[in-house]
Amino acid sequence: MGKGPSRSIVIRSTVMLAIFAVILLIGLAAVLVNYQIVNYSFYQTKAISQQTMDTTLAANRGTIYSRNYTELAVSAQVETVYIAPNSIPDDEATCRLIASGLSAILGVDEEEVYAKTQKSNYYEIVKRRIESDLADQVRAFVDENDLAGIHLVNDTKRYYPYNSLACHILGFTGTDNVGLDGIEAVYNEYLQGTSGKLITAKNAVGTELPIEYETYVEAENGKNVVLTIDETVQYYLEKHLQEARIEQQCLEGAAGIVMNVKTGEILAMASLPNYDPNQYYTITDEMVLQSLSTLTGEELETETTNYRNKIWRNKCTVDTYMPGSTFKIVTLSMALEEGLISLGNTYSCPGYIRVADRIIRCWKSGGHGHQTLAQAIQNSCNPAFIEIGASVGTDKFYQYFQNFGLTEKTGVDLSGESSGIWFSTFNEVELATASFGQNFKITPLQMITAVAAACNGGELVTPHVVKEITETQPDKSQKVVKSFETTKRRQIISQETSELVCSLLEQVVSVGSGKNAYVKGYRVAGKTGTSEKIDDYVATGIKNYISSFIGFAPADDPEYAILVLLDTPSAGEIYGGIIAAPVAGDILSDILPYLGVQPQYTEEELATLDIAITSYLDQPIEEATAALIDKEIKYVVKGSGDTVTAQMPEAGTTMPQSGTMILYTGEASPTKDITVPNLVDYSVAGATNRIKQSGLNVRVVGNENAGSDALVISQSPAAGEVVAEGTVITIRTNSSEGVSSM
Amino acid sequence: MAEQRPKKQNKWFVKKGEAGGIDIVFLILVLCLLGFGLVMVASSSYVAALHKYGDSYHYISRQLIFAVVGLVVMLLVTVFDYHQLRRFSLALLIVSVILLVLVLIPGIGIKVNGARRWLGFGSFRFQPSEIAKLAIILVFASYMAANYKRMKEFKVGILLPAAVLLLVCGLVAVETHVSGAILIFCVGAVLIFVGGASLKWFLGIGATGVVALAGFAILTPYAKGRITTWLNPFADPTGDGFQTIQSLYAIGSGGLLGLGLGQSRQKYLYIPEPQNDYIFSIVCEELGFIGAMMVIVLFVLLIWRGFVIAYHARDKFGSLLVVGIISRVAVQAILNIAVVTNSIPPTGISLPFFSYGGTALLMLLFEMGIVLAVSRYSRLETNE
Repeated sequence: MGKGPSRSIVIRSTVMLAIFAVILLIGLAAVLVNYQIVNYSFYQTKAISQQTMDTTLAANRGTIYSRNYTELAVSAQVETVYIAPNSIPDDEATCRLIASGLSAILGVDEEEVYAKTQKSNYYEIVKRRIESDLADQVRAFVDENDLAGIHLVNDTKRYYPYNSLACHILGFTGTDNVGLDGIEAVYNEYLQGTSGKLITAKNAVGTELPIEYETYVEAENGKNVVLTIDETVQYYLEKHLQEARIEQQCLEGAAGIVMNVKTGEILAMASLPNYDPNQYYTITDEMVLQSLSTLTGEELETETTNYRNKIWRNKCTVDTYMPGSTFKIVTLSMALEEGLISLGNTYSCPGYIRVADRIIRCWKSGGHGHQTLAQAIQNSCNPAFIEIGASVGTDKFYQYFQNFGLTEKTGVDLSGESSGIWFSTFNEVELATASFGQNFKITPLQMITAVAAACNGGELVTPHVVKEITETQPDKSQKVVKSFETTKRRQIISQETSELVCSLLEQVVSVGSGKNAYVKGYRVAGKTGTSEKIDDYVATGIKNYISSFIGFAPADDPEYAILVLLDTPSAGEIYGGIIAAPVAGDILSDILPYLGVQPQYTEEELATLDIAITSYLDQPIEEATAALIDKEIKYVVKGSGDTVTAQMPEAGTTMPQSGTMILYTGEASPTKDITVPNLVDYSVAGATNRIKQSGLNVRVVGNENAGSDALVISQSPAAGEVVAEGTVITIRTNSSEGVSSM
Repeated sequence: MAEQRPKKQNKWFVKKGEAGGIDIVFLILVLCLLGFGLVMVASSSYVAALHKYGDSYHYISRQLIFAVVGLVVMLLVTVFDYHQLRRFSLALLIVSVILLVLVLIPGIGIKVNGARRWLGFGSFRFQPSEIAKLAIILVFASYMAANYKRMKEFKVGILLPAAVLLLVCGLVAVETHVSGAILIFCVGAVLIFVGGASLKWFLGIGATGVVALAGFAILTPYAKGRITTWLNPFADPTGDGFQTIQSLYAIGSGGLLGLGLGQSRQKYLYIPEPQNDYIFSIVCEELGFIGAMMVIVLFVLLIWRGFVIAYHARDKFGSLLVVGIISRVAVQAILNIAVVTNSIPPTGISLPFFSYGGTALLMLLFEMGIVLAVSRYSRLETNE
């Protein structure tokens, strides 16, 4: 055995050393270069995407304001409770505790929560969007019992403080805070904002890492939408429509629009039945609930679904109808503009007219006889308008129809707008029916937009419900980032024609079929309409009607147009002049003063104005009576004291000039001992007598020009109520003469 | 009596005057690797330890104890005369073969994760293959040094060693400890080659072995699955490919300079047991390409210094012994890094000095002690 390794061992060892060194220093080093330098970004991206956790920071959804900056839809911070079943210890007692605890606080089903704890994932929502007080209770419950796996995340919830008010304009948002209908949907892009991001490191089990590795991208809050809607106008529109709908038992609901005829701004738009966007899936409408209450089982389910779709529908923009006689405004406008008719024209109506081989009847079977153009409009005479339509001719008629925007969508900034249905062929007979608004269909919004053009000087404007988009500044002020100006589309008729149309329509309200829409002190113009629902008749054999009134005020310089539509009234009356026109009158009398339109009373009107009652309490009796004499107010004194201790009517109310004021002195005081008599169906004179005999005051509401046959149609307070002497009883008269037109 | 005692001492211990000091360069390299390894065990294990045991120091504290004990053992070994190891070599081989058979018997061998590789009682466990590794090195070094002149003969140089090697490797492979078998096979083959076997025969047998291995890979479903995973780990990113992909994410995302010591994100339960076989990927992630190359260069230096010691060993046994031990470290490091970087099909093999594991570290330092013991008889030093 030689000393040390042999030459062969040394050489072969060196070979091995070389092999090892080459593999390590060249082979494996090259592999590392490939991963760590050449493909570094690929692996880095992959690694980071699995190591980080994106938490979405919800952006605050913008507010929807009315034109007066009243909040109609707001978002509030709420919290969502979820559990991570995989982080919950796997024992029965803990899971039961969690289920019972959360169920008690949140009002969710205990078994359902328990089932969720048994799943094997990290995200099971227990309850969405709870308020902070409930969230605090959940936190306390978690702390108290030292529980793992129950989490709360910030979320936002949409609130509609006025519940159903303007619901069809506002729309609603879904569970993911995305707008599903109305402004919420159309302006979702502006409202929703951009959500932010919080990127945190996480380990393979999904919990956060103790590494300082956090990126915060702030959420950009949504912008605010300012509507053209005036909440007060909207309120009055909805109130009066609802009352009329119930009174007239309108089975298919009601609709109404108030629009600024010059700017196209929609001040109010209502569709009934409606819903509460806070709980848009729940039916809250009384009439609907009533008709559902008689149903059971499958029928109930089907009908509930049907009605749910109905309450979400905006009848003003989505549904189409036959405008009936209100359309005569358009026929009149085109014929006047074309110079085919003038105020001197006369028409003879024998009760029918022959068109081609057909006989078309007037709604008044005996006919209107001989009439001027103005009378034909006041009478809403069909043969006269068939004649006018025929003079225009099919081509021109359709051209105007198009120019009035009736063949296309109005372009309103609301979702799901319809564009109407026109005849498949348009010949002599079709022209005849079209002249008085029958047998074609348009939306209520199209109709009011056309009328706005007819009365505003002849210009078609695009209706819109959004005024501007604003951004909330750090100091809470609003900065306008976008304004929606009036879009004028085209001139359809001349200024002169428009003025003539206005004056002719004013007469409809002052003396014609629209007299129930009259408002004291205001020059209201308009047209009534009653259209047959021919589709219903074809389908079911039942004749249903749509009663409507379309008008505007002031007639000499129109500013606001109003449309009232009652669908399928079934309480007896069907004529627009009887049931729709008074609703429009009520609404206008509420909103015109509010909108700052100055009333201009005639002498006669001044005589019938109410007196505002001020307080005479604690005044010496002599002083009070002197003041009343000065104001020409009739009065009686009851009691023998020196100072006034009570008065009827009370301060702050109003009383007709014909009323008598009662002052109480000393021990005397008003006692409720008079039973209100029934006044409905009495003539105005008869009713007034009955009221005065009872020691009460009377206020008559309704058209001053109502005929002698005007009857009381409603009273307030109701018959049978016990009131104090001197109380003002309001009676509403309705003119039935000359208003029962189609 | 007084004369007998030193004589007996002389037989077992290093004789004064005959041997010099231990190789300081090699010792320093061992200490560097060990220190580096301990730091990485500490860094890579604390999340897993906290998650599993609620104690961040669970692994590192145990590893430290073994390191200290191992260092003491290493230095103790240098006191002994390594020549005496020849006496035990054959006995150790026989014992390890017996143990390798025993471990296969159900009831005696302990099965962990489907592989029956462990023997032991109570909390003490060891792998017979670890002993077999050392036994093969000792037996081959001893046998080849003794039969040096006849190594060119087929029967002596190839047939007998190959038969022994295949027996041991076969037994280890049957445990489904493929990585262990490969490691032993490689170390054996290196010794047969360096020991002086006929090149013609060596390469012939080697080629046959490669073909056999390829056949094995294609035929057994276990190996086949591993190869499929190796070729496309992204095919099953949450299953078979998970560990590989997580390792590559760690390596790749480390970049040139790494995320910084202790800053690994992949150790947060993405890489299963990051302190074990895949510790190198944590090194890559935390210290980047630079840190990874430091580890590789340290290994290359250790191998180089080991071979320098082998060249200057006083006898062929010492020389072959060191070549065997150093080859074992080299092959193991290469296989581990290759697996971690998905350069070869995945197989469970630890990284010497770095991977957590008490007995393995103890054995390694014991072997380093043998190398240092051989270094004391360096001709280089005696010549000076």
